[in-house]
Amino acid sequence: MKVLIIEDERKTADYLQRGLTEQGCAVDVAYDGIDGQHLAVHYDHDVIVLDAMLPGLSGFELLRSLRAVKNTPVIMLTARDGVEDRVRGLRDGADDYLVKPFSFVELFARLQALTRRGRQQEATLLRVGGLTIDLIARRATRDTQRLDLTAKEFALLALLARRQGEILSKTTIAELVWDMHFDSHTNVVEVAIKRLRAKIDAPFTAPLLHTIRGMGYVLEERGASA
Amino acid sequence: MKNVAPAPEAQALRRQSIALRLALMFSAVALTVFALIGFAVHELLSRDLARHEQEQVADRIADLRFMLERGRTPELIDRVHDKIAAVTSNGRTRYWLWSDDPVWRYGDEAGRMAQITRAQPGILLLKVAPGQEQLAVLGTDIAATPVHPPLRLVAAIDTAPINQILRTFEIWLLPVMLCGALLVAALSYRVARVGLRPLAQLSADAQDIGPDNRGQRLRMPALPLELAELGSSFNSALDRLDSAYTQLESFNADVAHELRTPLANLIGQTQVALSRERDAAQLREVLQSNLEELERLRTIVSDMLFLARAERGERAARRIRTSLAREIDKTVEFFDVLLDDAGLQVRVEGDANAAIETSLFHRAVTNLLQNAIQHAPRGARILARIDATNERARVSVSNPSQAIPTEQLPRLFDRFYRGDASRPNSDANHGLGLAIVKAIASMHGGRVFAQWEAGITTVGFTLGHPDK
Repeated sequence: MKVLIIEDERKTADYLQRGLTEQGCAVDVAYDGIDGQHLAVHYDHDVIVLDAMLPGLSGFELLRSLRAVKNTPVIMLTARDGVEDRVRGLRDGADDYLVKPFSFVELFARLQALTRRGRQQEATLLRVGGLTIDLIARRATRDTQRLDLTAKEFALLALLARRQGEILSKTTIAELVWDMHFDSHTNVVEVAIKRLRAKIDAPFTAPLLHTIRGMGYVLEERGASA
Repeated sequence: MKNVAPAPEAQALRRQSIALRLALMFSAVALTVFALIGFAVHELLSRDLARHEQEQVADRIADLRFMLERGRTPELIDRVHDKIAAVTSNGRTRYWLWSDDPVWRYGDEAGRMAQITRAQPGILLLKVAPGQEQLAVLGTDIAATPVHPPLRLVAAIDTAPINQILRTFEIWLLPVMLCGALLVAALSYRVARVGLRPLAQLSADAQDIGPDNRGQRLRMPALPLELAELGSSFNSALDRLDSAYTQLESFNADVAHELRTPLANLIGQTQVALSRERDAAQLREVLQSNLEELERLRTIVSDMLFLARAERGERAARRIRTSLAREIDKTVEFFDVLLDDAGLQVRVEGDANAAIETSLFHRAVTNLLQNAIQHAPRGARILARIDATNERARVSVSNPSQAIPTEQLPRLFDRFYRGDASRPNSDANHGLGLAIVKAIASMHGGRVFAQWEAGITTVGFTLGHPDK
């Protein structure tokens, strides 16, 4: 995935660059609106991370001039979450927005969602380690043993399996499994994960569902050392 | 009386003094009343004078009629002449006598006068000759007697003196009325100034109130009845400002306190970690712990910004009309695992369609349910109720709980308010959960309420009409 970051706050731009590079992205960085506009218009990127407040040329102006020539997906970063800013950004053609302070996991998840949009038909049979999830029959098995899951547990497992190897924050999980679009400060997701883990991992030797403290959860097969 | 500094000229012109206005209004009223009285007196007087006139003419007729009807002496005509001469000597009375016998005639144009009075019975007002005074004239027939033939007797009196009385009244009426009105204006101005003294005292009291003595209020007992309401409204406005001010002060302190704990943890554990050589696993442990604290800070800041937006009067913009029961069911479903763990059950009752921004509505209901789950005893039933009352939907969540003192109920919605001071600081909502419910209600044009009755706590909010 080729990402362009346009952000004047150096510390933010640098950690985003490092984080995204480590996630396997090719990253370009511009520290002001003029450079950003040049890079955005003359080079092709899969997605652009655009700060709303920039020196030289504001994020909104840049977005408008960019939309005149191409449709690269754009995620706006705003410091203010007033309705006006959001509406303005989305009206001017932003595909998504994040309000500072945002979490890196959240940003990465959104970037993936934006680039995944409209991509190929997804698989209906997912496999992680010995775990098999049949999305059509709505059935999960591990090592031929049928797992008895509730509807929500299945939805949760399917989400984790579809995004295997990717860290999913509690907010993302709440949004995609329960359709709760806000930061709920509840431990619903923690408890749900604990219950799911009891069913899919506890009876087996190698755990697949891992907690990344402070960030979220990931479903993947790890070597014996993990 | 305390003198108020004189206002600049232009301002004084634009702003009328109450005393002046009262004086002008009172004198206008006085002028009207005087005019009415003057008119009535004039009417009475002129009617009375007319009657007086009539009586006088009738008396003149009666004087001679008696003589002419009863007189039997042959010299009657001479006595009549003498009598007429005596009566008319003042020049105000005149007589005419007419008959076929020229001996029994008296006065110039007696024949014409007899004719005129015959044609129009009753009192006539006429001028006998141009340029002369107006006369009140009355005529009568006197039957024949052995001494004289049938006679026509006509008497008249000069109306000038009587009219003069009316004229004098009319001339003096207007100036007297105007003088009276001026007197009323002057007196009522004085009276109004005295009457308005409590206002000056009120203003002096109000001027004494400042940021340094916020607690001071207007002295109510000193205020007259009419100003008491103004005074008490003013005082209660001050009370509201005062409590908002106090709340803001304590709120700033609360924010600082809430942020201080995670900040202290961050600084402390980072310093401890860096003071020795640590292996990667230990450093990872510190970073993870830091991340948790930072997450906590982020949550507080985001929630504070959310509350600030609501306080600035931001309204829910993307409202759609939907079934509230369905949205509450979704939220309850979200809590399934927690409810199961706590051995609680939620029943959703009633339904209403209302225009809501669903993510905000979910957030409010989530906070209400979370609050109920925290306080309900194990195995209890939680009731989520939707009532629709004239264009307003009402959502409430009830759960069995310990008693909450009535005075604490409205404070439940205060930021960082914790009814139970001993509750741990790492509380999931940082004491902002119900404050956020209140903010969401106000973004939907509604309000929050809380009550405790017979072991059941009910907390909820209303949703206003989207157009309001």
